[in-house]
Amino acid sequence: MGQIRGICRIVHSIILLVLLVDFSVVAAENPVDNDHQTQKKEVIKDGKRLFMGLLPFDRKHESCVSCHHVVAIDTFSWYPSALEIANLYHAKADKDLEKVLMEPMGNKMSEVHQEYQFKEEDVKAIKTYLDSLVVDNGVEPKPSVNNLFLFLFLGILITLSLVDLIFTRRIKYRIIPVIVLLACGGYQAKMLMFEAKALGRSKDYAPDQPIKFSHKVHAGENQIDCKYCHNTVDKSRSAGIPSVNLCLNCHSLVREGSNSGQFEINKIHQAVENGQSVEWIRIHKLPDHAYFNHAQHVGVAKLDCNKCHGEVEKMHVLKQESDMSMGWCVNCHRETHVNMGENKYYSSYKEQHEAYARGDKNAFTADELGSNDCMRCHY
Amino acid sequence: MNKYWRSIEELNDSSKLKQEELTNEIANKKALNDPESIETFASTRRDFLKVFGFSVAGAAVVASCKKPVEKAIPYLVRPEEIIPGQCNYYASSYFEENEYCGVLVKVRDGRPIKIEGNEQSSLTKGGTSARVQASVMSLYDLARYKEPLATGEKITWEKVNNEIPQKLEEIAQADGKIVLLTSTVISPTYRQVITELQERFQGLDWIQYDAVSSSGMLEANDRSFGKAAIPTYHFDKAKVIVSFGADFLGTWISPVEFTKQYSSRRNPDLKEQMSRHYQVESMMTLTGSNADERVVIKSSDEGIVLLNLYNEIAKQLGGTTYAVDQSSTDLSFIVRDLLLSKGESLVVCGSNNPDHQVIVNAINSMLGNYGATIDMISTNRVKQGDDRKMSQFVEDLLNGKVDALLAVDVNPVYNYPQGEAIKDAIEKLKLSVAFAKEKQETAEACKYILPLPHYLESWGDTEPTDGKFSLIQPTIHPLFNSRPVQEVFLAWCGKTGNYRDVIKFYWEANVFPKQTDNTEFTSWWNTVLQRGVFDEISVPEEQPIIDVTSLKATTTRIKSVSKTQGDVEVVVYEMNGKGNGAMANNPWSMEMPDSVSKVSWDNFAAISPRKAIELGVDNEDMVALGDLELPVFIQPGQEENTIAVALGFGRSVSGKVAEGAGFNVYPFINVVEGRRMYQAFSTVKKLNKTYPLAMTQTHHSMEGREIVREAVLEEYSRKANAGNESHERHEKHHVTLYDEPEFPAHQWGLAIDLNKCTGCGNCTIACQAENNVAVIGKEQVRNRRIMHWIRIDRYYSENPENPKTYHQPVMCQHCDNAPCENVCPVSATMHSNEGLNQMVYNRCVGTRYCINNCPYKVRRFNWFKYANNEKFDFNVNNDLGKMVLNPDVTVRSRGVVEKCSLCVQRIQEKKLEAKLENRQLNDGEIQPACMQTCPADAIVFGDLKDPESRISKLFEHPRNYHLIEELHTLPSVGYLTKIRNPHKG
Repeated sequence: MGQIRGICRIVHSIILLVLLVDFSVVAAENPVDNDHQTQKKEVIKDGKRLFMGLLPFDRKHESCVSCHHVVAIDTFSWYPSALEIANLYHAKADKDLEKVLMEPMGNKMSEVHQEYQFKEEDVKAIKTYLDSLVVDNGVEPKPSVNNLFLFLFLGILITLSLVDLIFTRRIKYRIIPVIVLLACGGYQAKMLMFEAKALGRSKDYAPDQPIKFSHKVHAGENQIDCKYCHNTVDKSRSAGIPSVNLCLNCHSLVREGSNSGQFEINKIHQAVENGQSVEWIRIHKLPDHAYFNHAQHVGVAKLDCNKCHGEVEKMHVLKQESDMSMGWCVNCHRETHVNMGENKYYSSYKEQHEAYARGDKNAFTADELGSNDCMRCHY
Repeated sequence: MNKYWRSIEELNDSSKLKQEELTNEIANKKALNDPESIETFASTRRDFLKVFGFSVAGAAVVASCKKPVEKAIPYLVRPEEIIPGQCNYYASSYFEENEYCGVLVKVRDGRPIKIEGNEQSSLTKGGTSARVQASVMSLYDLARYKEPLATGEKITWEKVNNEIPQKLEEIAQADGKIVLLTSTVISPTYRQVITELQERFQGLDWIQYDAVSSSGMLEANDRSFGKAAIPTYHFDKAKVIVSFGADFLGTWISPVEFTKQYSSRRNPDLKEQMSRHYQVESMMTLTGSNADERVVIKSSDEGIVLLNLYNEIAKQLGGTTYAVDQSSTDLSFIVRDLLLSKGESLVVCGSNNPDHQVIVNAINSMLGNYGATIDMISTNRVKQGDDRKMSQFVEDLLNGKVDALLAVDVNPVYNYPQGEAIKDAIEKLKLSVAFAKEKQETAEACKYILPLPHYLESWGDTEPTDGKFSLIQPTIHPLFNSRPVQEVFLAWCGKTGNYRDVIKFYWEANVFPKQTDNTEFTSWWNTVLQRGVFDEISVPEEQPIIDVTSLKATTTRIKSVSKTQGDVEVVVYEMNGKGNGAMANNPWSMEMPDSVSKVSWDNFAAISPRKAIELGVDNEDMVALGDLELPVFIQPGQEENTIAVALGFGRSVSGKVAEGAGFNVYPFINVVEGRRMYQAFSTVKKLNKTYPLAMTQTHHSMEGREIVREAVLEEYSRKANAGNESHERHEKHHVTLYDEPEFPAHQWGLAIDLNKCTGCGNCTIACQAENNVAVIGKEQVRNRRIMHWIRIDRYYSENPENPKTYHQPVMCQHCDNAPCENVCPVSATMHSNEGLNQMVYNRCVGTRYCINNCPYKVRRFNWFKYANNEKFDFNVNNDLGKMVLNPDVTVRSRGVVEKCSLCVQRIQEKKLEAKLENRQLNDGEIQPACMQTCPADAIVFGDLKDPESRISKLFEHPRNYHLIEELHTLPSVGYLTKIRNPHKG
């Protein structure tokens, strides 16, 4: 009996936990109002309607939100999001926003903002709405049902089937709870295995960057060499994210992009003016216990950047091409031939070097020279 | 063969010790299986719930685990010389606690992380000491003062620069007494700044105060030569070295410089030219442990022994002799040797008694050593403190005759015998200003506390020896709101501007004219800054003539001391890794086992084995030494009635590391006629108390096998493999069923010359800094879990009252037939194709089979997570302290084994450099941390595949052997047999 009570308690506690979480979410959203805030709320509401196109200010044109998205979106957009605009104009006056809207600067903006007509109070309302976004700390991306809930749900099913199997015995066919048990357990195991294997790996990771920098535009369309910006790649462990002053080499003249207009490029100038560097989101990162050196691979082995980073010149948004797992490293070492003739260092490998010189064995792989030894990367 | 032993217990009754160890082990294991403790683990329903909930939550978290978003922030404007991921080296100079060293600072991504020796320095020649190595850690010390304070409240520098000069002005105008108390100043520019300050405030008295002073030498040289200075010594030119208690390899004057010189002459292949070293002392010093012959005397007898030695030499050479009591020791063999090597000998004395030093001067003069091994023209400046001035100041201070005190980086409250009284007197002063780097006793007693920058954050210049200049340059922007004292002083004089410009200006006017090769100052300055050092070419000068009358007046004061003054003599000394206590809050320094006793974290009363039996005390028993209670450590080689205690412990106000570690014995220092004497008479009494000591001495027993091989020079010159006969035999017996390992390109090896190694411990700390080795604290060291990758085993042989001592650095031997490799169930330790025994932390599951199977006991286990753990509150538990970590080396987590990797990160770095430069590796290009900074040049690293390399030649040397080679482990580390050079007959 004690055991049954115990298991019932578990179920209770889980339910209680779920309820608690729900309640706390509700509690956090309970604001305290007063008159002034009510008024302001009205203005924000109007601004939101204008922004969303519910109160059309001008039938000829599309609403703001059609380009400047408010909620986080999956697809890539060149246009600055509402939040970005909000952040930029937060500290500025309503007039500034009005001026930009009425007299757009730059080709791109002039083109898309052609002949927009705003009333002064409309601009004010939009500005107030935008300011509210900043105050609310931006737009949170929608929570998606993730593996956690699925995993917990399977866990509950397992518990219930166990309870039925041993104690309550309500289900007539004993095979059903057994099947549920096995299936759920199996699926959980599968989830665990896959997730554990992928733990710390982030293939296809392509986060939004603070500047919509496009490798496709720079390396693809404009044919800029990778090493122009990542100029320590052949001499240091780190390829080097270009410092902001390097961007200015071109962007002190190139003030407007073909896709994003002036908005994104202006961020570079803002960074310089504020004396605060751009905080890029790091994509490629090996765990701390693995040592990788770009100079060895690019400077010595003369590997092409694409070999590991994929067709970067085709990416508007940079993503991680390979999973950067140890297996991936090791396999490449097994397949890649070392060009022993070119580098005098390799004459230290006497036998191999002689064989190479004789032409007995034309190629030695990196692995055969010891690049898969543990302490080449782990120390 | 000699009988080698590790501790007194083992010598007396080794079977009993083993029995005790076994009993302890059984008791410990029993405690683990204790049914009572198991009962508490019986699970209840609640426990089941907890475990269930935990596993569900844990699994769920694993299933939805996401990587945290990390940022990559580039420079706004990248400085030209900085390449992210590459390190830069900047030449600088270390001068702390009276120790000078030319250094290179390794700076990685804007953070200084390691100190290397500067090979350009003609004094230290690329060597460092353990303290120099540890100094980089002090930069990131949480106990540093972060803001200027006035009576505990934060104030601005502007306010400081307004208020203090105003008050000083008032005091100066009322004819009050202002004292500027500094430690020895070797910076010429700083001296000039002080002169300016003295001009600004009339009557400002400048006193230099050294915690451990050499005032006796200054006074003696003033008497003998009319020049109050310390000469420079050339141990490399001396065939016979006689040291009376001077620990010149450990702490005396300039240990790194002297170790370089000394070890260059410890090569037995020099045959007759190899130096012979006699040490006459009352306690076991590091230098004494390296001596060919060691004579034990009472420190109170030193004067008599010295004068007798003088008389005997004078008799032979026809000089004046003086009446003196009969010496207790016969030193006729030393006299013979000294007379045979006139002009090639060197007598030094560590005493602070000027009378003793005058006799030593007379002996050296008679032997014609001035101008040969001693240079009185180019003098050493690292200790200039005058004891009598200091004691006069203390007297004035205590009598209320001082109105204002400016204390710069000195700590008399802690390290002057009347510390407490000084503290009270300082608190009563009208104005007291302390310039200090980190929390210390004197600063806390002062009204104003002004933070000083660490030497790695500041500009400076030094002249440690006449004509040898060097620069100090900042390697990081000041971490806290500190200002160099010189800048502050100049501001008080009404001058603005930064100290660098002042130095530059001084050098342009005063140092630049000392050379003729360059005509343009800026380019010369840049070259000097890059090299770090500038040596003035000196014109040889005639040595001053000794004033013989000085000796006559002295001899009347040399008398035997009557027994009535106490039971025992207490000698206080500095430990070579710890210094005078200024760096006590440095965890690396604190955890480093003392070079002789192998005790870390504490000081202790070192008692001779015979005295211990007489008192009935054992290690860790407490004794009362006068009023002070101290734990006992039985130290072989100690004079029977002498108890030695180290200074530099027992800090009452400091950081977390220093507070509570050891006991302050500065009060033992005697002030006799204004001179500080480091000996005292006291009573000793056994107490019924014990105090745990973190002894690393009984770690890693080699169980009496042929670990240290030795011979004397005479045998060696007859037979090249003297003492190492078994090596050949073992080599012949190498047979294996397995395939021999193959090394296609390199086979890395290390050779250690036991003749050169002095056991100073610099390599231990260099390795710790390079390889992120954890500090684990006293309790864990006591549990025999110390993490150092390179340890120095110290063995004794023969007579415990005056034993022969051996120092042997032991690190992973990188065996080609490694016993650890084939027992690892997960292949976490494997052999590389370059002969390295690889340890892979991310594979290790912590079975510790490898540790058990390693005959050298060099593998270390992470019993705990030492990083980010409140229980191990050392440097890696805070963001500031973590800045010292080497980003190229993993910080190991709990449950993995680690060990020496032969600095594989450095091997990889240099290999890559060679590849990028399209060339082969040069011999000697790769230098592991231990080798790079070894002041004795005892360690050689290289490629055994290259027959021309230094290491290959050393491995072919008849002195070469391997540790426990009879096991056929085929180590890649070789040792060169120790060859002593005792006197003949």
